[in-house]
Order: sequence, then C-alpha cells, then structure tokens
Amino acid sequence: MGEGTTKNDGFFTKIIDKWRGRVENFKGMSGKDRWKTAKGLLLDNAMIIIIFLAIIVIAILRPRFISAASIINIISLTAARLPIALGIGGAIVLTGTDISAGRAVGLTACIAALLLQSQGYMGKMFPSLAPLPPFLALLIVMAVGALIGLVNGFFVARFKLHPFIVTLSTQLILFGTVLLYLQIGNNGGQTLSGLDSRYIDFVTAPLFRISGIAVPRYVLFSVIITAIIWVIWNKTVFGKNMFAVGSNEAAANVSGVNVFLTIIGVFVLAGITYGITGFIEGARIASSASYTGQNYESDAIAACVIGGVSFVGGTGKVGGVVIGVLLLQIIFVGLNFLSVDQNMLYIIKGLIILLACAVDMRKYLKKR
Amino acid sequence: MRGFILKTVSLILFITALVLSLAGCKRRGEECSVLYYTYSDTYISTVRSAMDKALSGAGIGFHSYDAGGNQTTQTEQVDTAIAKGTGILLVNVVDTGSEDAARAIINKAKNAGIPLIFFNRSVADSIIKEYERCIFVGTDYEEAGHIQGRLIGEYVRDNFERLDINGDGKISYVLFKGQQGNMEAEARTRYAVEDCNKILSEAGLSPLSFYDRANKDGYLVDQNGTWSNAAANDYMKTILSGYSEAGGNMVELVIANNDEMALGALAALEEAGYNKSGKRYIPVFGIDATEAAQAKIREGAMTGTVKQDGELMAVTIAKIAENMLSGEDMLSGIDESMIAGERRVNIPYSAYVGEDKR
Repeated sequence: MGEGTTKNDGFFTKIIDKWRGRVENFKGMSGKDRWKTAKGLLLDNAMIIIIFLAIIVIAILRPRFISAASIINIISLTAARLPIALGIGGAIVLTGTDISAGRAVGLTACIAALLLQSQGYMGKMFPSLAPLPPFLALLIVMAVGALIGLVNGFFVARFKLHPFIVTLSTQLILFGTVLLYLQIGNNGGQTLSGLDSRYIDFVTAPLFRISGIAVPRYVLFSVIITAIIWVIWNKTVFGKNMFAVGSNEAAANVSGVNVFLTIIGVFVLAGITYGITGFIEGARIASSASYTGQNYESDAIAACVIGGVSFVGGTGKVGGVVIGVLLLQIIFVGLNFLSVDQNMLYIIKGLIILLACAVDMRKYLKKR
Repeated sequence: MRGFILKTVSLILFITALVLSLAGCKRRGEECSVLYYTYSDTYISTVRSAMDKALSGAGIGFHSYDAGGNQTTQTEQVDTAIAKGTGILLVNVVDTGSEDAARAIINKAKNAGIPLIFFNRSVADSIIKEYERCIFVGTDYEEAGHIQGRLIGEYVRDNFERLDINGDGKISYVLFKGQQGNMEAEARTRYAVEDCNKILSEAGLSPLSFYDRANKDGYLVDQNGTWSNAAANDYMKTILSGYSEAGGNMVELVIANNDEMALGALAALEEAGYNKSGKRYIPVFGIDATEAAQAKIREGAMTGTVKQDGELMAVTIAKIAENMLSGEDMLSGIDESMIAGERRVNIPYSAYVGEDKR
C-alpha cells in the first residue's frame, strides 16, 4: 500500500507516509469497497475501540478513574501480569498453550520467599540459611522456571504430545511439589513470610513518584522483560523460527528449522518469565502459600487471545499481549469503579474473551 | 458480513448496557468497600447477605469484592478500592497463616488514611494495633473448637456403648481439617479432640483414637485449603471403601472443621446406607450452623454443630463502620459483653443440636 516507504528519513515520516498511502488507497475505492474496508478496520481493532469507549464511559461516571492514583494502580497491576502473559504468548504462537504457568509461578514464588526470609524470623523455614542477595535469588528462580519449561518443552517436542496434556500433568506435579515443599523445615504447611526487607525493596520500592503516588520498581522489570521478549520475537533467528513452526511445523522442518530445539526454547523462555513473575509476586504480596499463582494462566491466556495472539498459531505481537493485559486490567478496575456486582465480573470476562476470539477467527474464516 | 457486523455491534451494545444498568443500581454515594475472602464459602455467603442488609439499613453505600480465595487478588482489590476513593475498608482477609498479608493491607489503609475493619478471619492483635483506625470483629477463634470439643465429649460419654461398634473399648474417629496453616483450622482441629478426651478421661473412658494408625497427623486436610464439601466427601468415600463394620474397623465418629465438610462426609455415609432412619448411626459434628446443617440436624442425620451468629456479626460491623465514618468512638453502641480489648470485638458462639444450647 504505502508509497515512498523507501525514503529513509526517520521513523515518523515512515508512519505518516504509510497512513497517507492508506488514505489514498481508500479514496480510490468504490463505495462498496470503502464500506468493506472501514468495516474490516473497525472489527480488526474492535478491542482497542472497546478500551477507549470503556475508558471514556467510566471516566465520565467516575472521574477518579483517570486520577494519577488510579492510573498508576492499573499500570502496576498490568506490570505484574505482563511477564507470564508474554511467556504463554510464545506457547500459543506454537498453536499450544501452557496451563502449568500459574503453579510454576506459585513454586518459584515460594522458592524466592525461602531464599529471602529474613534472619531471625520466628517461623523461618531453615533458621541457619542467611538471606541471599535478591538478584542472585532472582537468577535461581529464573533457572527453576527454565527447568520447568525444559520439561514441558521436551515432552511436547520429543513425543509430539499436545501442550495442553503435558502442562496439565506438570501443573499437578508442580502443585504437589509446592505442597510438599511447604511442609519441609520449620514451616509445617504454613504461608511463607517474614521476608527480608532488601527483597521487598528490590521489587516494590518506589521507582519515582507522580504527584506523590509511587510507581513500584517491578514496573521497570516488566518494561525490560517486554523489550527483551520483543527483540527475541522480532529480531532473532529463534523468533522467526518460532513463528515458522507455529504457522506450519512441517514446512518449517523441511526448510531446515530445528523444530525440536525451537519448541523447547519457547517453553524454556516461558518458564523463565514464570520465574520472574513468581519473584515479583512473592515480594508484592509479601507472603507465598500453596494457592499463590493459582489460575494465573487463565488470565494470561485470555490476555493473549484478546491481544490477537491466535490459537491458530504463527501470529501474535508483543504489543498485542501488552494491550490484552492492559485491557483486562482496565475493564476489571473499571467495573469495580462502577460497582458492578462481583458475580457479574466473571460473566463479563467470559463475554469479552468470546468476543475477542470471534473477532480473531473471523480473519481466518475469511481467508478460506 | 452485514449480519455479522450487526451482531458484533449489538453484542458490544448489550455488554455496555448491562454494565451501565448494573452500575446504575448503586449510583448513590459509595463509602464502604467490603472484601470477602471468597464468595464460594457458604458461611461467608450468610454473612454477606446479612451484611448487605445491615449496611443498607445503616444508610451506607457499599461495594463488595470477591477475592476467590486468593490473597493476591484481595491485595489488588484493596488498591483498587483505595484508588476509587472508598471511605472505609471491611476486609475478610484471605491469608491467615502469615502476618504479612494483613500487615500489607493495614499499611495501604494507613497511607491512605482510611479506617479499616478486619472481620471473621482472624488477624493477630499485635498487627491490628499498628494502626489506630483499625479494629477486628470476629470470634475468639479458639472458642469454636472448645465448644465443639465439649459437645462431642458429652455426646460420646453419654452414648459410648452404642457408638463403640466393634466393642474394642475405643471410639475410632476421623477429622476433616479445612486448611493447612489457618489459625482457626489449627485450633478447631486441636481442641475438638483435646477437650473431648478431657471429658472422656474424667468419666474413666479411653480417649478417641484416629481410625488410621499410620496417619500421625490425626486429620485429613482439604488440599486446596477451601474447607470444601467435596474434599470431605472424597475422603469419606475412600475411607468407606476400606473400613467397614464387617471388617471390624468402621469409623465410629466424624468430626469436621466446618459444616460444609461435615455435610460432605455425611453425604458419603448416607450413600453407603448410614444415618437414615432405622440404619446404623455414625455421629457427625461440624461448625458454623449453616442452614443446610441445621436442617440435617433437625432431620436427625447430623448430630451437632457450633453456631456463629452471622447476622449479629454483620449488624455489629455495620454499627462500627457507621461510628468510624461519622467520627464517633468506634465502639459506641456495641454490647459490652462482646468487647474484648480496645481493638477487638468477639461475636459469641453457641452449640446447636436442633436448638440453641449455651
């Protein structure tokens, strides 16, 4: 479509040219085609349009919704959920899914909590274990996450099992592991808490303040992870292979992509994001128990689908996942601002996911 | 295609209309946020409907949150409620196993300068005292276990011969624990057996013995920590497949941390042909006195429960909230007998065996 995109004078010029091209294209169409294009554009961006409508409606009814405190609250909530969604996004690109993610977050949160329990805390799991430097603990839980991903990926790649089945199994295994883990040492099945203040600060200390409201540090973590995942998905051979395997495994195999390693890589990467989520989670809530992380995968999967990462495989954008997570948070915080009955929240969430999937599938149905 | 776009647009409109109409119901000033640990708990649902009534009665606008049994969700809901500008927080905290979850909530309320009432699920006094506009309304969490223990002890003492099916001079029991690491569950588990055994030993009878010698804990716990009917039902069915009258090792007494679990176990017993009129009766004890349990007790299938007065709790909380919002002394107008310390109000328990019994 765009004309003059060969010009290399800056990012913005490119975008302007692209849009100018689109507009000119549109002008040149017949009435019927125009209607069709406009309709398509409307539907393809239905989720973003809904976001904006929702924000406007809620902000009119409840002006506090767009106050600094509320916006920072939404951004923090989004940041805490972003890493796990980006990890699962990769699995979905491979036409798979990962339902072990929540339990992986639970286990890594509990491990982080153990490594970082403060010295002298009465119920400390291992009284003689001095708290590690937070950064070292982060690396350890990332490694544990990677190991979980390795197991998931190995069974999917080696035995051609559907990821749903593999991760259903690992989900149960991980939950059992968490329960056993919480029983060891002095802990006796209790919630893990009494965390070292260095750990809490490492994750939740104010990054900076906007009109007196602190933005926690994990927002920065989330931004960094998003940037790294963006580079991996878009600028590396591994990323290109991931999309190739996702859209057509056989074809990717024929053209020399190592399918086995690509699948394992995607799950390992996902596992690392769960480790990071667990690390953030442990400090953010200040206590970890067997239920930590329970059902996190369902929100993450929903966010990916809403953000256009298709279960058909081979398509998805990092930006889409960010929008998906953000949209879910905006809707949820917004509905609470509107004092919508909590029972209805589940129903509304279900309807939104259904709508997002329908809009998404429409593109593929059209192609056939 | 035209049909499709129409449908999509109408679905969007439908959702928007739904949301707006729901929002419309409670448009008047909302001052109070009520955060429940889960909507799926029967007893909490009793409290919730009583609370809705009590708050409306006191003319306080409110919005309720469902944490779904997850502390993360609840802590986030506190953030949202504060961002929304709530006047007071009523919190039924999820995680009672550690102090940090409650402390994190207190700090948030403190920073925002909003009064805070914890209710039902216990929070230690030392934490409550960290914030001068914070109070706990609940029960003496050990009391329910003591009352249940006494109830069981007296019942077993008076019916010992009949209950001892295999005639070994010991009553074998099973105990269902609601949650690992929950102070209430720990206390109920402990005192139900301890207090019962005290009464038995005073009467010169041998103490209760756990049905499975290999189980050193002396309880079976709901692995999901939800105090659920289903967990107790699954356990009881499994037990009944291995233990029977014919085998001489039948479980002779069922104790549960709450009524949901008691009813789950009872359902398994009934399915196996017990506790129906004219059939062998295995006593079942719970706590909470939910509607369903009371009905089963009146019917004669269940034996006893311990009543926690949800309505009284709701009315008391509403009164304290009203006091806090209007800047009065927070305990003004509260029954003296329930005040236990400057930051604690205890709603009394009573035993229930078809009628209230103090």
